[in-house]
Amino acid sequence: MSAPHDAERTPILVEVERDLAELIPGFLANRANDVVSVRALVSRDDLQSVCRIGHSMKGSGGGYGFDTITRLGGEMEQAARAGDGTKVLALADELEDFLARVRPVFS
Amino acid sequence: MSTEAVSGTTGTLLVVDDDPDMQRLLALWLRAAGHTVRTVSSAAEALTQVCIARPELVITDLRMEGMDGMALVSRLLGDAPSLPVVMLSGAAAIPDALAATRLGASAFLTKPPTREALLAEVARQLERSQSGGSRQGSFGAGFVHRSSVIAALLEEAALLAKGDISIMISGATGTGKEVLARAIHAGSPRGDKPFIGINCGAIPEQLLESELFGHEKGAFTGAATRHEGLFVAADGGTLFLDEIGDMPVSLQVKLLRVLQDLEVRPVGAVRGTPIDVRVISATHQDLEQLMLAGEFREDLYYRLNGVSLHIPALGERREDIAPLTGWFLARHAARTRTSLKRFDADALALLVSAPWPGNARQLANVVEQCATLAREDLIPLSLTQRALRGHAGQIQTLKEAREDFDRQYLVSVMRLANGNVATAARLAGRNRTEFYKLLEQHRIEAAQFRSDLGP
Repeated sequence: MSAPHDAERTPILVEVERDLAELIPGFLANRANDVVSVRALVSRDDLQSVCRIGHSMKGSGGGYGFDTITRLGGEMEQAARAGDGTKVLALADELEDFLARVRPVFS
Repeated sequence: MSTEAVSGTTGTLLVVDDDPDMQRLLALWLRAAGHTVRTVSSAAEALTQVCIARPELVITDLRMEGMDGMALVSRLLGDAPSLPVVMLSGAAAIPDALAATRLGASAFLTKPPTREALLAEVARQLERSQSGGSRQGSFGAGFVHRSSVIAALLEEAALLAKGDISIMISGATGTGKEVLARAIHAGSPRGDKPFIGINCGAIPEQLLESELFGHEKGAFTGAATRHEGLFVAADGGTLFLDEIGDMPVSLQVKLLRVLQDLEVRPVGAVRGTPIDVRVISATHQDLEQLMLAGEFREDLYYRLNGVSLHIPALGERREDIAPLTGWFLARHAARTRTSLKRFDADALALLVSAPWPGNARQLANVVEQCATLAREDLIPLSLTQRALRGHAGQIQTLKEAREDFDRQYLVSVMRLANGNVATAARLAGRNRTEFYKLLEQHRIEAAQFRSDLGP
């Protein structure tokens, strides 16, 4: 990257169970897809679908070891339910940033 | 990772979640703990899977597209009352999850679940259901099956076994009504007491009365000794009345009185004997039709039919044919002390698709015949075809049917006469020489009837 911003230079280390190693890349890639989906859904004003995506993230994140994803998912679900598209987009940015910096450390 | 669950109870689990990431995670955790796991993405798929092969436990998400976890629980528990279901739900849905447990779900876990909490809950539920003896355990071990319909039947029977309610088993000839009755007896608190079965259709009326209720010495011509009767013999245990629909109406009245008074009065006796017997009855007939025709008493029907269990015909559960075949082959090998034979693929396919009007009993006969006649350990298609033709329709010849009847009749009379051939001959209205010939013809030895039933 030619002009990395600060965030990319500060990795977030997350301890993950070793036997989940194989599943982690797929899981994180799916969250990256969620960021794209959520932005598209907000632009179409489909907050109900955003609500479901947030709910899923909330349910699975912690299990994989990513409590941040569970927190962001929960907040996204709430914001979508409240009809707050702006908040949803801010959370999507936060998720994108997290995904860019997260570095799983297998224990 | 935590490995302690690997050594614990493991089972076959079905995971239902519409989030593929969640599915993968749960499956990985559970497999690492030694469980066998299938995953599906919807409640509808879950219902299909349970039908195809019953899991020992279901883990389901509460919120799902289409049918949700709550509806799944109620559908599952309608079909399989003791199948444990663990519900996963977000913290916000705890009231719903609690409602699901009231509906019958065994437990709920909040999302995101931790590995430890999930494995501990699964182990707890499996242990509970396995030690309850209600499923997959020892109950109904003799009732070989793979179908979910028989699994559900055995599950229900296991629960009923624990109580003392009278049970009516319906099902076509050869479906295993007595096998089920024995399983219920064995799984009941009466399991260490006698199980006594009698075929009400195979015995003439007077003999049946005496067999069931007993008689005093001299109660009628030929009653040289006292006979205690099957109700007394089964005291504390279970009396199995097979082909109850064939019981003459006059005896139905007497049976009803015994069941109402919990007291049996042998023919010719002044006083009754209190009895403590659980009655399981069975029939291949439509008793409601018999009641309409006035051939079966309604009051007796309701007394016997505390709860009814139906065994479907073998043709309605073809997935049971292969495991039953394997079991009959193993039994044949053990009985004859010969090597274990097996059917080749074509022969087995033929067995699986055959009509089986005589159900499992007919299958047993065909397997037995093939195993006996096969020269090699692999039973070929040709031999199987021949055996099936020989058992076509399971209709006995008149000669076979007569011989069957004679044998059962002779046994009943000999039992009644406590092995005294002169008495038995008199009861049967034959002279002694003739009667001896009959006994010899059927290889019935008088001595067998003397030892166990003293006056």
